[in-house]
Amino acid sequence: MLSTVYTGAIRGIEGFSVSVEVDIAPGMPTLTVVGLPDTEVRESKERVVAAVRNSGFDFPLKRITVNLSPAELRKSGTQFDLPIALGILAASEQLSEPAREKLKDLLILGELALDGTLRPCAGVLPMLISCKKLGKTAVIPPQNVLEGQVSSAPFITPHTLKELTDYLEDKITQEAVTLQYVPAEEEPPEPLLDFAEVKGQALAKRALEIAAAGGHNVLMIGLPGTGKSMLAKRFPGILPPLTQEESLEITKIYSICNLMGKSRLLTKRPFRDPHHTISNVALIGGGSTPRPGEVSLAHNGVLFLDEFAEFSRAALEVLREPLENGLVTISRAKETVTYPARFTLVAAMNPCPCGNLGNPLKPCTCSPMQINRYKSRISGPLLDRIDLTVNLNPVKYSDWNKTSEGESSAQIRERVLQAREIQRNRFQGTSTTANAFMNTKQIKEFCTLPPGADTVLEAAMRKFGLSARSLDKILKTARTIADLEGKKEIEVKHLVEVMQYRPLDRKGVADV
Amino acid sequence: MNTAVSTEERLARIQLNAFLYFRADWLERLIEIFGSAQEILRQDASTLAREAHLNPDTAAHLLREAFSVNPQEEWDKTAALGGHIYLPEDEEYPQSLRNCKEAPIAIYVLGKPPTENQACVAMVGTRKITPYGRRVARKLSEELTQCGVTIISGLARGIDSECQAAAVRLKKPTVAVIGTGIGRCYPPENRALEKAILEYGGAVISELPFNKPPNAFHFPRRNRIIAALSQPVVVVEGEVKSGALITAKLALEMGKDVLAVPGPIDSPVSGGPNSLIRQGAGVVTSVADILDYIPQASRFGLDARYFEHGEQTPDKPLEKLTDQQQQVMACVGTGQVSLDAIAEALQLDVPQTAGLLFDLEVQGFLTCENGLYSKSKF
Repeated sequence: MLSTVYTGAIRGIEGFSVSVEVDIAPGMPTLTVVGLPDTEVRESKERVVAAVRNSGFDFPLKRITVNLSPAELRKSGTQFDLPIALGILAASEQLSEPAREKLKDLLILGELALDGTLRPCAGVLPMLISCKKLGKTAVIPPQNVLEGQVSSAPFITPHTLKELTDYLEDKITQEAVTLQYVPAEEEPPEPLLDFAEVKGQALAKRALEIAAAGGHNVLMIGLPGTGKSMLAKRFPGILPPLTQEESLEITKIYSICNLMGKSRLLTKRPFRDPHHTISNVALIGGGSTPRPGEVSLAHNGVLFLDEFAEFSRAALEVLREPLENGLVTISRAKETVTYPARFTLVAAMNPCPCGNLGNPLKPCTCSPMQINRYKSRISGPLLDRIDLTVNLNPVKYSDWNKTSEGESSAQIRERVLQAREIQRNRFQGTSTTANAFMNTKQIKEFCTLPPGADTVLEAAMRKFGLSARSLDKILKTARTIADLEGKKEIEVKHLVEVMQYRPLDRKGVADV
Repeated sequence: MNTAVSTEERLARIQLNAFLYFRADWLERLIEIFGSAQEILRQDASTLAREAHLNPDTAAHLLREAFSVNPQEEWDKTAALGGHIYLPEDEEYPQSLRNCKEAPIAIYVLGKPPTENQACVAMVGTRKITPYGRRVARKLSEELTQCGVTIISGLARGIDSECQAAAVRLKKPTVAVIGTGIGRCYPPENRALEKAILEYGGAVISELPFNKPPNAFHFPRRNRIIAALSQPVVVVEGEVKSGALITAKLALEMGKDVLAVPGPIDSPVSGGPNSLIRQGAGVVTSVADILDYIPQASRFGLDARYFEHGEQTPDKPLEKLTDQQQQVMACVGTGQVSLDAIAEALQLDVPQTAGLLFDLEVQGFLTCENGLYSKSKF
């Protein structure tokens, strides 16, 4: 006999519906899963056999074929256990006729333990969102209930396979298999890190403010212990709050990666700080079954790369695509998936391999060659995508000991929000979201040079060796500084300030 | 070109010159023993070893190195760059170098080598330049160049480049003696500087085969050429053990005068010059201190004004600055100061400070390196 059960799978960050067809025919007792199943799906046979028997049913000793359709798409994840088990029960007529009818209106997701208990699985949220239009009631493991609530699709949350079959047979009510009230198990909010705690480093703080206001990427170069990480960790705190769509997007990504924890909907901007030994696949996403990488986990948030120059060259170069397009495309022979990855890059590095270049107290032991080699690890095309660079210098004791605190994150955020508001009005109706993402046409339209700018730029080119190619970035950044002040037009002083954030454009002092 | 040396002999000398593990005077001695370089190259290793009392391995090595270069190719490539290969027999071979005990048996020259009685001063120093060294190197080089003296240096990073760039900025000739073949540029960032040196009538000199890459032992060797070409030799900054001090030592052995720029006693790169002073080197406090050591024969045509010692009358450019700009200059002093520190001292916010610093830097009062500002003028 044949039965069909509906479930879902993930492709990129979107779900799609899958129908599980189970056929039981006389013959040698076998269980075969076809339809491009991944390893974890193929292994589900063993779990299903045990779970079915341990839930008080018979496992049919016949020739069982399970087909996952559409058959040409690769399926991964453990959510297929429960639908396969139910399909087998239906096909072997261990479920009654009305129960089998009822089964057709359900979208079933869930991993099974050997005793028949439901276990949580990854990617429930995107699957529910994508399959909402089918109008089916979802069956999800109780641990995934928060994602069910976020998706606003109808769902039930049985604890075991037996509980679900009892519900299908109308032995228990729908209420009994639905967690009605979910206590707010949100993690207590971490004590917010505040910029007021950072002493000194006025220039770096200012650069981060500009970065937050205009979506620019930042590179901090400084001696160890000058507060690079400290500043970076406080950066998300001055970013504007997430919009509804933004937070749904990142929640989907975290759901796929099974990183939801106890939160319902991610409402804080993500802050990812991968270690510098990370592989390029872990950074960008991929694998034989593509998974989002750190850049996607940092979507709508901050990707902090400490020890920027220590990352492998390959890992750094793959950053170029997401920095340019805000997404990552992973191509495999069989499929191509796209993950969103629009993040603000905050990078930090030492001025030289030993870390003491420019330290007044300790001499640098690196040869000029080593320093050059260290700096050249960051390629030109990558630097081209970083609008702001600041040098950090050791904090003086008098600064460190200061009792008066600097500006708080809240104050800075206020200005950032105003600047963002201006940008939202400016870019209404376009896909651009912030000054940093302006295209050439928009730069022409919105960044008119003020009178007197020629002298400044000419002087900067002559004195600092600024190239024409950095001009666009200077204009974008100047636009953001003007927005922070609420000015309609860019002024000369804004351009002059930008020069502070372009130290790497400078030619060597002894150059002709 | 001198016809005293036949073309074949010339090419043989170029081949012999490629053997870098011998002092140049030993090669000359070999040529004396065998009568000509051609003759040396005709020998097999064992004869060479026996006749010249060489270690057989060394003799084999010499022949191997010599035959690893194609002299005609060296000649053609050099000519293609507009350069020449000079032997000591040639008129263009600098006289001061010919006088040196270890004069190279062939030099590759791009541009115009210094002539006899041209006033040449070597300015050498560390690659790890400090703002102080930069200020001094720049000021002294500029004044020397304006006075009419040719600066000789090694085109290395740091002091060398700074001094030669100063001459080039004044569009005056300067001579670079490099530690690679002339077909290469090391360090690569100095390519533009090298080009400019040739453009303004200077010269690039090397004794190494055309395409020789940089190697640590080339540089001390090259330093003897710098010392030989100049009088006096000025050490601006350098550690106690450094290439600059090797140059100074070689210069002393050649009987040249060595001068040193005194520096702060707690600065590692002033350790070299300070120790030279302790040993009796001349102290440089102004350009006149250097000019005193220029031989009388070379003084013709130099600008006499620079020879005068006495009260320096610095034009006081700072007086033209606004009060706030002067405050910034006072805050920077002779040290290296970050924007944060200046903003704090002057009670200004970042954009205001950035504006002030930009103006001062564009006007050439300040230099910024790794986010630290230091004054760039005396």
